[in-house]
Amino acid sequence: MRSPALAIAWEFRQRHRWGLIALAGYLLVLATVKLLILEPGQAINMDSAERFAAVVVVPLTVTFTYFLAVFSFGLSGDLAGRHSMYPARLFTLPVTTAALAGWPMLYGSAAMVLLWLATRFLAVWPSGIDIPTIWPALLAVSLLTWTQALTWMPYGLPGLRVIVAVLWLAVIDSIALLALRYDAREPVMLAILAPQIPVAYVAARIAVARARRGDVPDWRGMFARLGQIADVLPRRRDHFPSPAHAQLWFEWRWHGRSLPALVGILLPFELALLWVANDSPVLVFETLLGVLLTPPFMAAFAAATVRKANPYVSDSYGLTPFIATRPLTSAALIAAKLQATIWSTLSAWLLVLVAIPLALKLSGTWPMVIERARRVVDAVGAPRAIVFVLLGLSGLMAATWKQLVQTLYIGLTGRVWLIKSSLFLTLLLLAAIGPIAVWIVENSEVRAALWNGFPWILGALVCCKMVAAAWVVTHVYRSGVLSDRTLVTGAACWAVAVLALYGLLAWLLFTPAMPRYLLGLIAILAIPLARLSAAPLALAWNRHR
Amino acid sequence: MSESVINVSELTRRFGAQTALASVSLSMPRGAVYGLVGANGAGKTTLIKHILGLLRAESGSVRVFGLDPVADPVGVLSRIGYLSEENDLPAWMRVGELIRYSRAFYPAWNDAYAEQLRQTFALDPAAKIKTLSKGQKARLGLLIALAHRPELLVLDEPSSGLDPIVRRDILGAVIRAIADEGRTVLFSSHLLEEVEQVADHVTMISHGKIALSAPLDAVKESHGSLDAAFLAHVGTTPDP
Repeated sequence: MRSPALAIAWEFRQRHRWGLIALAGYLLVLATVKLLILEPGQAINMDSAERFAAVVVVPLTVTFTYFLAVFSFGLSGDLAGRHSMYPARLFTLPVTTAALAGWPMLYGSAAMVLLWLATRFLAVWPSGIDIPTIWPALLAVSLLTWTQALTWMPYGLPGLRVIVAVLWLAVIDSIALLALRYDAREPVMLAILAPQIPVAYVAARIAVARARRGDVPDWRGMFARLGQIADVLPRRRDHFPSPAHAQLWFEWRWHGRSLPALVGILLPFELALLWVANDSPVLVFETLLGVLLTPPFMAAFAAATVRKANPYVSDSYGLTPFIATRPLTSAALIAAKLQATIWSTLSAWLLVLVAIPLALKLSGTWPMVIERARRVVDAVGAPRAIVFVLLGLSGLMAATWKQLVQTLYIGLTGRVWLIKSSLFLTLLLLAAIGPIAVWIVENSEVRAALWNGFPWILGALVCCKMVAAAWVVTHVYRSGVLSDRTLVTGAACWAVAVLALYGLLAWLLFTPAMPRYLLGLIAILAIPLARLSAAPLALAWNRHR
Repeated sequence: MSESVINVSELTRRFGAQTALASVSLSMPRGAVYGLVGANGAGKTTLIKHILGLLRAESGSVRVFGLDPVADPVGVLSRIGYLSEENDLPAWMRVGELIRYSRAFYPAWNDAYAEQLRQTFALDPAAKIKTLSKGQKARLGLLIALAHRPELLVLDEPSSGLDPIVRRDILGAVIRAIADEGRTVLFSSHLLEEVEQVADHVTMISHGKIALSAPLDAVKESHGSLDAAFLAHVGTTPDP
């Protein structure tokens, strides 16, 4: 291996050989089906959306996402951090910055083009559809190169990378979709997409050059005054009254402010739409819905820092000796983490609940909202309307908190294979959920079957949850991670929460169409149990290896 | 000197096919300074991690103050001061914040002693840890390990982080002072002269096995020097 280009290629191949082997296997299956099973020239009538989705769309989307992560070095970096995600170990190689940026881009682009061409020519597409050859590949390359440029760029604020990348990639996607909507031909699509690749390369080169010379902007100073205001409450000059208080402070300072900061950055942009769309009630309510969904959505990103066992090293999953040697039980370490996430959720929602009325008032859309609220009160009565609003808000807050903590039991294990497998399964699920939803919506037989089997499905899910909870509790009990008293108190709190939710649902949805036992099953499923109980076990497994 | 602070019995640990510790048995009485010496990869850090409860004994047992460090981390860790080989102090904290944070975990924390050490180590309480040099971080780590006057001080390769002045002028004095107060010190090193300067008892470890464990004076008497003893029992000298 005599050239840096070959060495970089070798690293990609060596690190991701199993993924590449799986991809080769998938393409082989596609080719076998097309060349050996189907007769040449046979017309394919693949009207069934689910079959097409299962064979082509889902694997294509999963592989595309996998390539994005592989070639942007995203599998081993800190997405929410300020520093470049380009591996710092490569900066000391005697290689030009152009080569450091260029080779991964070239390999990634080649992989994307091959992926598309293989899918284009090997997959069985529905007959009667003219499948384009070049521009989808260019779109994939364009998205990849921009992802690389944006992930390798150092940022002035934590979390800014996620926001910039999501917004910019959405813009590129929207331009392509808009062009398709107006039936743009292939040359037009090429003219839109092709120039982006050299621009992205220049951006990536600048990003790597800045990262290489350690030029990481720090804009946190701009928020210093805000920080001082925020620090008035949590900053303590006196001693902590207990180790638990000290650990809560540590968790809050480490990751507690991520979610409020992310929400705080996005809110002004979202609420600005109220000024643009203040004549249209639909747009106003869509904007408000978007704002209300922001905390749970951003919590999914903030959760990456909450569940990370090692805050200092981006590609390490084990606990650092500093944290592992705190004279605290694993349960106390988890308790501090959970408390910090509660404060984080409340802070983010405080921002939202203060910003919404303020923006409605200033944009002049307040009367429109009041008018709609009056109609709802007239229709269902004031008590029910109030309870609906409170329940909706509580549900969103609970969903935000749940997003923050529900993957703790995976991240805190510190096992790379478990964390990466879980990430892969999540991506697979996200890719599959769209086609499955379309399949359900478009297929009346499936809808009927699902509706008839709904109680059984809920029952099966409850059984799974209870079996998982029993397994976790048994292991927690045997390992002594939680005391008997904590276990009993936790179980009692969970039962009370389930009963309270059941009572509320029974009061709200008082209709013969909804049997009471179904409400009970929904309440059991809604209140977290197994995954949350597994978090101390996961941490203990990581801490005492 | 009769009561054992650390008791390791038939401890074995494997990482995949590699045996990191093979039937290690060790007993460390209170009030002594133990030097754990061996080449890089000999098993020193693995043994220390078992003592801290960061690794679970696959076979054999580990008892510190008569307690299992995995089953009772609070009982064990609150009596131990530990300076890690890895410089893993939270980079976002300030020196003063780390001192205030660490203080909460140790009932025996001595504010006056912590302040004295801070001044001796010339650490600015307002400085962010990420702005400190490697040597300053190691000094801060040493301050945190010492300020609660632990019954057992564990130093994992302190020479890899501390600058020569601290090593020469401060570390030895601190270690001797701790031992004179009847407390115990365990420090690992691959530098024989460093061990020779402060240790009462030396344990040589090689390929996961205890090659020699004896009082320093006895080792010197029987072999002439620590270098000769190492050469005789391990077959080579540790990495420079």
